[in-house]
Amino acid sequence: MIVKPRASLRGISIPGHKSPTDRLSAERLPLPAKVVIPLAQSIGAPAQPVVQIGQSVLRGERIASASGAVSASIHAGVAGTVKAIEARPDGRGGTMECIVIETAQTQEDAFLPPLQDPSAEEILSRIEECGIVGMGGAGFPTHVKLRPPVPVDTLILNGAECEPYLTCDDVLMQSKHDEILRGAKYLAKVLNVQHILIAIEKNKPQDIEAFSKSDIDVVPLKKKYPMGAEKQLIYSCTGRKVPLGKLPAHAGVIVQNVATAFAVCEAVEKGKPLIERIVTVTGGGIMQPKNLICPIGAPLSALAEACGGEREAVKLVSGGPMTGAALTGYNAVVTKTTGGFLFLTRDETNTQEPTPCINCGRCADACPMKLMPMQTEFYTNAKEYENAARYGGVLACIECGVCSYVCPARRPLAQAIKTAKAELRRKS
Amino acid sequence: MRILSSAPHIRTRRTTRSIMLDVLIALIPATVAGIVFFGWQAAVFIAISLAGAVLTEFVWYLIEHKIWRGGRQVLADWAKQFDCTSLVTGLLLALCLPANIEGWYMPLLGSIFAVGVVKMLFGGTGKNIVNPAIAGRIFLFISFVLMTVYPEANFGAIASGDLGSVTTGATQLHNLLEHAPTLSALDLFLGTGVAGCIGETCKLALLVGYLYLCVRGVIKWYLPLLYIGVTGLFAVALEGFDFTFFLPSILSGGLILGACFMATDYVTTPKSKLGNVLYFVALGLLTAGLRKATGIEVVSFCILLMNFLVFLIDLAIKPRPFGYVREKKEAKK
Repeated sequence: MIVKPRASLRGISIPGHKSPTDRLSAERLPLPAKVVIPLAQSIGAPAQPVVQIGQSVLRGERIASASGAVSASIHAGVAGTVKAIEARPDGRGGTMECIVIETAQTQEDAFLPPLQDPSAEEILSRIEECGIVGMGGAGFPTHVKLRPPVPVDTLILNGAECEPYLTCDDVLMQSKHDEILRGAKYLAKVLNVQHILIAIEKNKPQDIEAFSKSDIDVVPLKKKYPMGAEKQLIYSCTGRKVPLGKLPAHAGVIVQNVATAFAVCEAVEKGKPLIERIVTVTGGGIMQPKNLICPIGAPLSALAEACGGEREAVKLVSGGPMTGAALTGYNAVVTKTTGGFLFLTRDETNTQEPTPCINCGRCADACPMKLMPMQTEFYTNAKEYENAARYGGVLACIECGVCSYVCPARRPLAQAIKTAKAELRRKS
Repeated sequence: MRILSSAPHIRTRRTTRSIMLDVLIALIPATVAGIVFFGWQAAVFIAISLAGAVLTEFVWYLIEHKIWRGGRQVLADWAKQFDCTSLVTGLLLALCLPANIEGWYMPLLGSIFAVGVVKMLFGGTGKNIVNPAIAGRIFLFISFVLMTVYPEANFGAIASGDLGSVTTGATQLHNLLEHAPTLSALDLFLGTGVAGCIGETCKLALLVGYLYLCVRGVIKWYLPLLYIGVTGLFAVALEGFDFTFFLPSILSGGLILGACFMATDYVTTPKSKLGNVLYFVALGLLTAGLRKATGIEVVSFCILLMNFLVFLIDLAIKPRPFGYVREKKEAKK
């Protein structure tokens, strides 16, 4: 059934740039010679390695275990031999602890036994065993999210994919429609909720069409950024506002990405841990944009090669263009939360020197959290972070990047907000 | 080498320059109407004012960057950072001057003052406290008696080539405040036979510009309407609810020019939506009240006055993030 969304809050319309890849079904990435699997792929504590150097592992075997309450296990994306457990460049200028696996000639799987008609407890422990995390970008361990502090009554599947360029969720919804639905049912069973919604932006009519034939409610969202941001999504779908500083559960809602629902289905029915995902490789700077099914840990160089190499790319981005991270080079690898890699040309990035703020108010008009980014930047530049919080409201910022996008003076507003947030956090 | 910067990695195509160009485009109808109504004098005024504004900014650029020699490269560098704000200032200033050609030095002095003192001295684009064009006009108003002598908009002046026939006289607004509306609302709307400044007489042309600004998303459509509406209604209230005063008061003087193009100047308006509504309502009340009290045209003075209060409005209004209201309601329960 199709449910009409509530009037959406602010936000902006951004050219989608999705056409190069949104009709391409996902191809499997040729097996890379080695994979580099970071130990910290989700929010919370990094996983602890449980393999030795020189040990041979099967595909899907656990190589690192969750440590602490908020943490997720990690499994081998390919069968092979552990070559190293060491700090490696993360592609963003820092380093990260990684397990390096050299791919074996023959690939053998070591999945868990499939579950037949599982109970809520069984599903939850299976999700935990399989190391499933939120695949939309933030990477919150799913088994933690499925134990909300207060009871919830609604599950929202996030298929909005409001980030421009990325099409990984779109192609997944096109091809794995039934699996996503079954995954959603498992999630709903764990949460003990009856009401399941799937939110899809209107630029994916075929997905809306497909899901409207199922027994869950479909919410066709207006094409607007950031429609898929959790708080904005909950408001559009249910009309509920998440109180500031509280969790979505306090509004009675849990949001899960469609890719997460798919991973849950695979984990329950095939016993397959989260070892691969769809990654969109696109942008004006890549020869053949593609959606690739990649093992976790696949290096960016392998993806670029599979897409015919780059052309005139001046900026590499891991993730979407609005919230992703700029990369220094090909050191980056696919993680559980990587939705895409962008190869952006100079024209696409539209980089210019900042000019003085003319106080036009476009940032405040666009802000989905109703904040005042120009005030934040003004006070952050003056190092008055308390005033930045008072007059700019930085602490409520969801870091969607809309303010910087719309600024006609090209001011780094989102960056200033992040600085102010970090400083305030450091002081408290 | 890769470009490294914080997200977002894509940007809108809109720039400060493109916004200012839109304002200039929106002023074209009023400029043309002014030249048609007031003849070559108006064109000379506009040209002097624009040249004065841009040259002042250029000279300031040279001094600021300590450039004493250099050729084309200097010009190219200057053009690259030129954001067209001084063109807007120069044009707006000319449009709110009476086209008395004896006072040819007025647009020159006014634009130098507006750009040099009001804008650049305070730090350039985005840093000025008051609207440069308004400040320039008031500087001239308190300096030269010619600023109070308004030629009458005469459509036939150019057609007949008889430029000497342009007469001087008091503005319609003055007549209005003497309780004797002399012109029909249609004349006031079209500007025919109305005495006034170059750009303010033809309301039709100004409204075309206003619509353009709204369509291009440069200004919020309701703000000028709020100012004009509040002024008209408060004027009516001050006359003991005599509604015949509504149209003449909103169509007289520089109200529409001020409301659409000057009060909406980004730099000198509050940052928040609520602040802007407060600001424009206060402007309307102030304009109608001061007009009644003084009997002269006060739109520019009101805008100047309110400009000084903008920072207070900004300090008084704190953002209420999404999700805030609900929390407060719960606390009340």
